[in-house]
Amino acid sequence: MEVFVAQLINGLSLGSVYVLLVTGFNLLLLVALVIHFSYPQVVVLSMYAAWMTLRAASDHPGLAVLAALFASVLLSLATAPLFQKITQRKGRVDVNITMVVSLGIGMIIGDLLSRVVNNGFPVAFPPPLTGSGPVIHVGLVSVSWGQIAALVGGVVIVGSVFLILYTTRQGRAFRAIAEDPVGALLAGIPVASAGLRSHALAGVVGGVTAVILAALMGFASPGLGEQVAHKVLAVSIIAGLGHLGGGLVVGLCLGVLEALVQGYVSGTWSNAVAFVLMLVVVLLRPRGLFGSKV
Amino acid sequence: MPLPLYYYLAVTAVNVLMTWALYLPYRVAHLHFLPVANMAISAYVAAHLVMQQAFPWGLALAVGFALGFALGLLVSLFVGDAPTFSVVIVGFTFLFITRTVIENIAAFGGPLGLFDLPYIGSSPAAHRHLLLAVLYGLVILVGFLLWRFDHSGLGRAASATFADRGLATSLGVDTGRLGAMLQTASCTVAGGCGVLYGFIYRSLHPDFFGFQLVGLFLTILFVGGYATPWGPVVAAPVLYGIPLLFPAAIAQWRVVVYGVALILVLLSKPDGLVTRDAVRSLEARLRHGGKT
Repeated sequence: MEVFVAQLINGLSLGSVYVLLVTGFNLLLLVALVIHFSYPQVVVLSMYAAWMTLRAASDHPGLAVLAALFASVLLSLATAPLFQKITQRKGRVDVNITMVVSLGIGMIIGDLLSRVVNNGFPVAFPPPLTGSGPVIHVGLVSVSWGQIAALVGGVVIVGSVFLILYTTRQGRAFRAIAEDPVGALLAGIPVASAGLRSHALAGVVGGVTAVILAALMGFASPGLGEQVAHKVLAVSIIAGLGHLGGGLVVGLCLGVLEALVQGYVSGTWSNAVAFVLMLVVVLLRPRGLFGSKV
Repeated sequence: MPLPLYYYLAVTAVNVLMTWALYLPYRVAHLHFLPVANMAISAYVAAHLVMQQAFPWGLALAVGFALGFALGLLVSLFVGDAPTFSVVIVGFTFLFITRTVIENIAAFGGPLGLFDLPYIGSSPAAHRHLLLAVLYGLVILVGFLLWRFDHSGLGRAASATFADRGLATSLGVDTGRLGAMLQTASCTVAGGCGVLYGFIYRSLHPDFFGFQLVGLFLTILFVGGYATPWGPVVAAPVLYGIPLLFPAAIAQWRVVVYGVALILVLLSKPDGLVTRDAVRSLEARLRHGGKT
């Protein structure tokens, strides 16, 4: 029972990270009409920005958080014109081309991280960000500061995104574009600038996720973005592309399922769980469990 | 033959073949990455058969092709007419499932991979010559079949499907069958390529068949031009060869260069460097003895 509870806590915190990532991914898909496959690579780059700041600023956690946020928003905004040019040319979501451009961005980020920072070796985050030990420890069950940050951060950030989407004028514009981009344009909504704002918002979500991921895992590596990218895709596909609520449910469930497999099955089979599930869903329900929004 | 030249020629041939394997399903707008997973599966199975089961290499190569065909056909029954994004996802999914399975199979060397694959010729030189002969024979055969396909009714049906799937269906094109056929052909080529790839390096590692390899093939396809088989023929030797001419300090940045080239070409020349119009115009010139 203790193993189950411990893995449940691990799974919920991992699931919260998936939920955060898939929320940013879906936001870009719905409003900016971009399938940003390399969004998790942007998050990992922001983790590295936080690590470098910690080293330069004597392990000051506040500055590291700011650095991660700044890097994520800056990179999201810097890459936005690339996607906007494609979308404007085609006038619709071009799955293949936006995905290939995003893969190109991912190739550049991954290779830069594996050559420039720390000679390509994984970087470890110090206790000011990860906490010096478990906050709660009962038998096999221990809860770390990173897990608390993931659970609380997940609720606060996803809650804030939903609040923006459903209670603000900007959120209404976002939802209108997600529903019908051409109709939104005819109704006078500035689709291009709303897309840019969605990149900025996804950047903020990405920056916070980077800090949470750093606190939760305690390390970052150049290959981490690639691994996480496929999990995010898995969550998004299983839920239904662009379905924000579905992403929330599936992200949490997948995190828990993976953690349980990790707890009870030897080897690295937990990685396959998400992909086998995704394969079954794609083959049997191509529009996902909750239905695709695009 | 100097070793660097051998590796350049062999890897270029594999790159051309694998980019053609991606080119084929892209003729109906399917960005299919299953061939890269097929490459890994066939490479590992063939290496295992030759090393542990004493299979002759030729038979192992045939098994590689057959595995590619079988898996390609099986998956194409589900995604032959699926939306583009589903096809992309299925490909990536297989890539990662394959990797996880390989890493957990002891007979495949687990996460460490397989080393010291045997020579397929009587000496290292014979091994290299035989591999190059098979590779370039395959390039000529597949290239010829692609040329025939592009100039056939099926090729025109594929072009119509790429331009407008709904319209192609209205015109009587069975888009599901066509997609399944192209996916199966693509996976068959990739199965054989995987075996050859493994025996070029004489070692296999799960990292060989990852994101970077997909990125390389995509770069060759989109920079060269996705609308004609000549695009990969032009882009593969150049993209793989140019970094080799630079000093090691610069050559190590080739993935960044590939990424930048990919993005710049997609933004400035979305059809790639070798377009169908350019090929048609060249063919017309050749037909009229250089006069236009």
